[in-house]
Order: sequence, then C-alpha cells, then structure tokens
Amino acid sequence: MLGYVLGVGKTRFGPSSHAMPRLAHEAIWAALADSGLAITDIKAFVVANFLGGPNESQLHLNSVVAGLFPGHRIPGWRVEAACASGGVALHQALAMLGTYDPVLVVGVERLSGPPGGVLTHNIGMAGDVGLDQAAGLTFPASYALVAQRHMERYGTTTADFDAVSLKNHHNARMNPLAHFHHKTVTQADIDAGPTVAAPLRLFDCCPVSDGAAAAVISACPRGVRSIAVLGSAVSTDVISLAQRAEHTTFPAASDAAAEAYRQAGVGPGEVDMAEVHDCFTIAELVAIEDLGLAKPGEAAALTQSGATALGGSIPVNASGGLKAGGHAIGATGVGQVYELVRQLRGEAGERQVASPRIGVSHNVGGVGGTCAVHILGRRS
Amino acid sequence: MSDLMCVACGVRYAYDIDPCTFCGASLTEGEPSPAIVLAVTRVDTPSTGHEDAPYWCALVKSAQGAQAIIKFDRPVEVDDEVSTSVSGTVRTYVVGIVGSGVMARGLSEMLLFRGHRVVWVGRSIGRLESARDMVADRLSRVMDETELDAAMSHCSVSPSFDALATCDVVVEAVIEELIPKHETLLAIERELPSHVYLATNTSSLPLDALSDGMSIPERFGGLHFFNPPTRMRLVEVVRAPATVDATEEFLCEFAQVVGKVPVRVAAGPGFVVNRVLMPLLNEAVRALEDGIADAESIDEAVRLGLNHPMGPLALADLIGLDVVVSIMQDLHARLGDEAYAPRPMLLALVAERRLGRKTRSGFYEYA
Repeated sequence: MLGYVLGVGKTRFGPSSHAMPRLAHEAIWAALADSGLAITDIKAFVVANFLGGPNESQLHLNSVVAGLFPGHRIPGWRVEAACASGGVALHQALAMLGTYDPVLVVGVERLSGPPGGVLTHNIGMAGDVGLDQAAGLTFPASYALVAQRHMERYGTTTADFDAVSLKNHHNARMNPLAHFHHKTVTQADIDAGPTVAAPLRLFDCCPVSDGAAAAVISACPRGVRSIAVLGSAVSTDVISLAQRAEHTTFPAASDAAAEAYRQAGVGPGEVDMAEVHDCFTIAELVAIEDLGLAKPGEAAALTQSGATALGGSIPVNASGGLKAGGHAIGATGVGQVYELVRQLRGEAGERQVASPRIGVSHNVGGVGGTCAVHILGRRS
Repeated sequence: MSDLMCVACGVRYAYDIDPCTFCGASLTEGEPSPAIVLAVTRVDTPSTGHEDAPYWCALVKSAQGAQAIIKFDRPVEVDDEVSTSVSGTVRTYVVGIVGSGVMARGLSEMLLFRGHRVVWVGRSIGRLESARDMVADRLSRVMDETELDAAMSHCSVSPSFDALATCDVVVEAVIEELIPKHETLLAIERELPSHVYLATNTSSLPLDALSDGMSIPERFGGLHFFNPPTRMRLVEVVRAPATVDATEEFLCEFAQVVGKVPVRVAAGPGFVVNRVLMPLLNEAVRALEDGIADAESIDEAVRLGLNHPMGPLALADLIGLDVVVSIMQDLHARLGDEAYAPRPMLLALVAERRLGRKTRSGFYEYA
C-alpha cells in the first residue's frame, strides 16, 4: 500500500473571478473537512501549477499558499509538469510519506486572464520552444497530428471523436462541478463547430478553466472513507512528437500504466472505471489504449459500443473528463483523483458508477512528455 | 533544429549537445536530406508569434530518420516530399547594407544575430568601423565570445559599392533625403550584377523618383523596416511602378526568413504606417494646443484607450520632431490634405531646435 487519500476537495472548474489563493483555499478547506483533519495536522504540502508565471505574474506559489495558513510554517513546494502537474505532485507527495505525514496536495490554475492568442502561446510552452513552438505547433495542432496518424493507421474517424465528445458532455450534465454542467451538447452543435486544427474541431477540444483541487494523503487510513492508493507511477519521455518513433501512443503513459498495475497487483481487466486525460477527444482514445483498456486501434470501437459510458463495462470520464468537466491545468490531475475517491466511496450522486472497487487516473503533460497514472481502490 | 546521432548507441538527439549521454562518444551531425510528410494539420487559430493563421504544421521525416515539425504557409499533404532541410539551419542570405546610421546599425545587428552575412558599405570607413564596433558591443550582450566571433566574421565593411556584387540583396539605409538617397541608389545599382535585388529602407520618399535612371528598375522595391529592427516585426514591402512580381516575392520571402512579417503596400505617400500615424500625431499636438489636456494626459489617454504601447507625443519625441515635420510636409504636399499640415506648435518646437529625445527636449524634457 502506497498510502491513503483521507480527504478530497475541489472547486467548480470553469471561468471564475477568484484569484489563485481563494481558489486554492476553497479546495484545501473542502479536502481538510473531508479528511477530518485540521490544517495544523498537515506536515508538508505540494502545489501543482503550470502557468502561474506567464498568466498571472505569480511564481513562488508554495509561499503564496502558505498565506492560506499563516504561522503554520511547514515544508512546501511547487511542481510543474505542464498538464500533468497535478498527477506528478500527488506522486511526489506519496513518495514523501516516509518523511512527512500527512501531506496536502493542491493543484490550482487560472486560465481566464490572458486573451486567446496569448493563452494559446502560453499553453504552447508545454511544447519544445525550438522544435514545436517555433513551428507554430500549438497544443491543438500537436494533438491534431496524433489524430491524423491514428486515423491513418487504424481507420479512426471523426465520428469516433464525436462519440467521445457527446459521452463526456452527457456525463458533465450530472457533475455540478463540471465546466459545462449547464450546457447540453448535441451532434448538431458539434457539426456547427469551427475547425481549430484539422481534423480537430471546437468540440474535440477541452475548455480552459480556472479552478483548484486538493487531496490529503497519509500512510495510515482514517476510517472507512479513506481510499487506498494501490499504484502511483510517473514516466517522462522526450517532449516533441518530432523526437518520437511512435505517434499513435504515448510511451510514457503505457510505461506509467504498466508500473502502476504492477504495484497494485491488478490488470486492466480488473479496473472498474477510469478518469483519463482527454484534453482532446483523440487523447481519450489514445489513453484507453495506453491503459490497456482496449488493444491499440480498438478504443474507437470500445467507445462506439457504449462500454465507456456510464453504465457500460468500463466507464471512462464519468466526471465529464477534461473535455466537458473542464481543464484547470495544474488542478486537473488532482481533480481526477477527487472524482475517483468520490466514486469509490459511492458519493458521486447522479453520475455514480455502479459499485466500483478499483479506479485508474491518467494525467498527461504536453503531448505525452509526462504521464502520471494512479490506481485507487476501495478498502475491504 | 539539431539532428545529432551517436554512432555507437544509435541514439538521436534533437538538441545541440555533446557527447552522447549514455556512452560518451562524440555525436555526429546528420546530413540534410529531403523529408516526407508523415502528418499535417491546418491551424486556424492564431497565437502570439503565429498570427498568420491559417497555416500548416507538418510532422516530417527524412530518409535518415530525422524528424521535425515544420510550418508552411501553404497546404502540404501526407507523403509530400518537402525540401526544407530537417537538420540544416534556416536559409542564410548575403545582405548588403548601405549607410552607417541608426537603421543601418539595427539592420546589421538583426541580420548578424540571425546568422546572415552582411556586406556593409558607407562613404567613411571610420564611421563604418565605429558602427560595426557598436553592433559588436550590442551582440556581446546576447552572445558568448565564440558566437560573437562567428557573427562578426560574417560582417565585412567597405567604402566601395563594388563590394556589394556578391550579395543576394542590398538594402539602402542612408539619410532620408531624396537627392542623396537617389544618387546612392544609382551608384549602388551600377555595381550590382543583374540578379541582385535592390531595396530602399525609405519611410516615405517616392519610389518612382528614387528609381529614376536605374538600368534595371524591375529588381528594385522598398523594404521599410521599423526602428529598432531587432524588435519591430513589421516590414512594409513596397512595390514601385516598375517592380516585377519576382522582386516583390523575393522581398517578402526575405523579410520572412529574417523573422519579420511582410505587408505588401503600393508606393503611395507614407505607405500605410506613416500615412495613418502622422494625422494621429498631428491631432495629438492640436489637442495640446487647444488645451484639451496636458501632454502626459493625452499620451496616457491614447495608451490606455487605444491600447498603444506609447502615447503619440512621446512617440513624436522618439522619432524626432524634425523628422515628423519633414514627413508631414512631404505627405501634405503629395496628398493635399490639411490633416497632414504640421501644427504650429510642432513647427515652433523645431524652430527652437527642440527636436525630441535627441536634443533632450521636445514635448517632454529628458535628463
């Protein structure tokens, strides 16, 4: 056992007028309340964030977060691994448990500040400045190339992408903390969406969200609501598609998944649900294959069969995923764990998966440069 | 980008490093070779630095297995062979720069920084050498000694126009007055082989007058860079009456390769930027004359209300009020519109030799 999640908290993901400290505070307060601990019980903390510097002129975030509990001076630091910051922060917190216990993990991000072209550029910082950014390879463009390769190799179609989008938007309607909780999306909406980077259209892309998510972890459980971390793995690969032989799979994701399954002593067939990094619809299909939930090239068929829907054999992104649940970049990986914990406890309300025992989260940085995979399990 | 390979391990590196991190063997540079498009996407959303959407991003792979992401301004398709070298550097030009003033220095600095060769010609070898030293000093702030030596070895200075014969293109940047500019251009042109393009950096002089008497006016056009050319991204590519398509295409491509955004304009008075700017500056002076607000308030209003990086009066001081007056008088004469007639306060400041920053006094006082 690597440790336990004692409590989780999350803000709504979506546009917000609240500054980073207030967003972080809301998530931390909820996670502490959920865990039954007070802030003074916490021995160390990790802050996950991607664009505090470029977007908000705010670095040194561990010290900013310390301002949420003045006088309680404990070790704290910031983790940045692009969109995988949250998952990597959780992994790091778990690795620290021998030294500090309990540890607070909080992911926070604000993306609604800069105008579109500036934000696209800033998010592009997850790509290599020379290999990718200089060529205008924006984030959607990176995944568009993956989509092109996947379509060419496996015959995946834009209708398969639409199926992912419709499913995740459907799930988000049942998640009050989702970015698009209030928005119904139909095939007609998808068809009317403009192209962002061919073949990806507007509804293939996740929104950019403000938000925060937090988790309190410990080596020891506190009662039946604690959720066990059965596996935690991070793998780092080269940053650019131009440096990789494979473009339809992320080796960092399949490596991290293999290691997490090994730690947990389970295989993909024993997983009851997955929260995966669907920053674009194609990314969900790649994730399903990298996690071994489908063979390479078969995620589209699995999706079209309904197996990944709520009520299917392996629900994927019951929360709405990044696609419709929202992507508050640094908070996303922690937000996935929030969803798994709520689901494994049976606290997910309308979108509750039928008695899941094991859930997997899959959090990707850039276009597969970093991947964090966590496997969580209900106790007993 | 780099394409370095360890012969011993077979590992490929995309960064300019040495030796191999695994075995310590020295890395070898891959040979440039044609590449095949593996995947391509049309990008429809502009972003900072890539405002020119739609454009195409392709993942390409060379016969040797080197891969790169390459940007195209035209559609390409999977399996297309593309000529852009994967491992090579960007294309380099031999550029003639004529003049030794602020613009000539800025252009040389910008070109040398980007790896191009500069043949720098001016009448006084002493002024050229001191200008070259100033450029070297500027570059030394952003390059290490080896890089600086390499860059400066790409810069030759000469008092004689015949040194320009080896250039791909010559950019004339001498004083902004018709007669000296015209005489210089004719003198340059006499020394150029027919395939060398010739451009003037004039901001407002009529190109038909400047090209009068040229033997091949078809290869002549305007390349209006903005000060400082190391930072300003716009180039107005000006088509003179005799300029042919091939010349305009070359000048646009040249501007892009040196990192600028070309905008094609006809040789009308003031092109686009000065034609739009001068009435704005003049109106700001009139607002000051009319007591609408003081200089600081006018500038702040324009900065915050129109999102300009600098207010018009501060900008006029930066350009130089004598230069502003001269451009306005030229535009007024050629366009016949009173909006371009310099305001009395502007003329009075110039008469008092308060010319802006360069005399430490203009609309503002400078320490």
